[in-house]
Amino acid sequence: MNRALAVSTLVTLFVVAIQLAVLSTLRVGDVVVMLVWLWPLLLGLMGARLVALWSALLGGVMLDTHAVTPFGLTALVALVLAYLGIRLGREGVGDLDSAAWWVTPVIAALGGFVAPLLYVMLGAIEFNFALWRGSVLMAMVVNAVAFFVLSRPLAYLARYLVAPGERTRR
Amino acid sequence: MAGVALLIILYLTTGIASGLRSAANVVITPFTWTVNEVARPVGHLLSGVLNYSDVVAQNKRLRYQLGQAQLQINENSGAATTLGALGKQLNLPFVGNLATVVAQVTATSPTSFSATIDISKGSDDGVLAGMPVVANGGLIGSVLSTTHHGATVRLISDPGSSLGVTFGNGASSVVVTGRGVNNGLGASLLPLSTVIAPGTLMITDGLAGGLFPPGIPVAHVTRVLLNSGSSTYGLSLTPTADLRHLSYLDVLLWEPST
Repeated sequence: MNRALAVSTLVTLFVVAIQLAVLSTLRVGDVVVMLVWLWPLLLGLMGARLVALWSALLGGVMLDTHAVTPFGLTALVALVLAYLGIRLGREGVGDLDSAAWWVTPVIAALGGFVAPLLYVMLGAIEFNFALWRGSVLMAMVVNAVAFFVLSRPLAYLARYLVAPGERTRR
Repeated sequence: MAGVALLIILYLTTGIASGLRSAANVVITPFTWTVNEVARPVGHLLSGVLNYSDVVAQNKRLRYQLGQAQLQINENSGAATTLGALGKQLNLPFVGNLATVVAQVTATSPTSFSATIDISKGSDDGVLAGMPVVANGGLIGSVLSTTHHGATVRLISDPGSSLGVTFGNGASSVVVTGRGVNNGLGASLLPLSTVIAPGTLMITDGLAGGLFPPGIPVAHVTRVLLNSGSSTYGLSLTPTADLRHLSYLDVLLWEPST
């Protein structure tokens, strides 16, 4: 467990770094693909419960320190996605071994579609209504497509790096 | 759930959150640097290979625009002198006379929910929060926060941005709000009696206590929107500055209180 947490911490920091250095520049229709949301969702689907929550919190908070949007919003959305991933993973849905190949990408795409909406809704709860003025729908569509494409290779990476240790202890 | 509780506590205790921001920056910087060192050469190589003809064409266009700008500077020097004198008489600061700090854009917003950029100059160079930033022929935003060697600029297209502008020889004013980089700017609640047409230039109003000095070009009107039964116009605006291709910019050393 300690090894998994340590490895996931390192990987999550690299995920944040890729988000900041690469994805924030490499925009699709001016939308940034939110790798920090996809990563904990996949960890959850792979059954790495604690690691998924930790990655969500760490990655989200790290990104929030670089954004001018309300502090903690990215982390909250990441935690929700990680939790949903864990619930599905516990039911054996989205597992790379047992499910059809398209299940993980479809779950990821749904997560990518809902996450931006959740983000602006949580922003409204924090009385930040300005987030609605942006292209929420565009962000939902782009993230859904990107999550669909990236989910399977990243899921293999997630399982290879951190999940096996978690799964044997489940 | 513990994580959520922790975040709520952090959000409520702004001081701790602020400290956490600084600490997180220290932690993430080596990772960002590493990724940058790997990704940048690859990105440059791909970009160079894929966009070579575009770069050559853009170079030619830029040379032409540079020549045009030089010509305009020469033509405008007389007008600037007159305007400066008028501003002095009216006790208004003139943008052309304000000291500036040239800065380079170092990063863009990490998410698509805000429109900000990081720049290479900070408080050590005289850059302070609230200072206006101009580039590419118009206002692009204002400094949001600074560190010793850098600053974050909130672009006028940020959904949280709003500023007062004037048009029609200063006869009318309206508040312009950001809608995200892709969606330009918007304005609403403009009385139907106002005379306005697409193409109208909006400039900062510089009202007393305002956040910007007067006379900085902000946006052009692209569409005048009128809903049936409404007693006011809405406006769709395009920033005069190209906010998508920012590399170098000027921070005006002007504070709202001055």
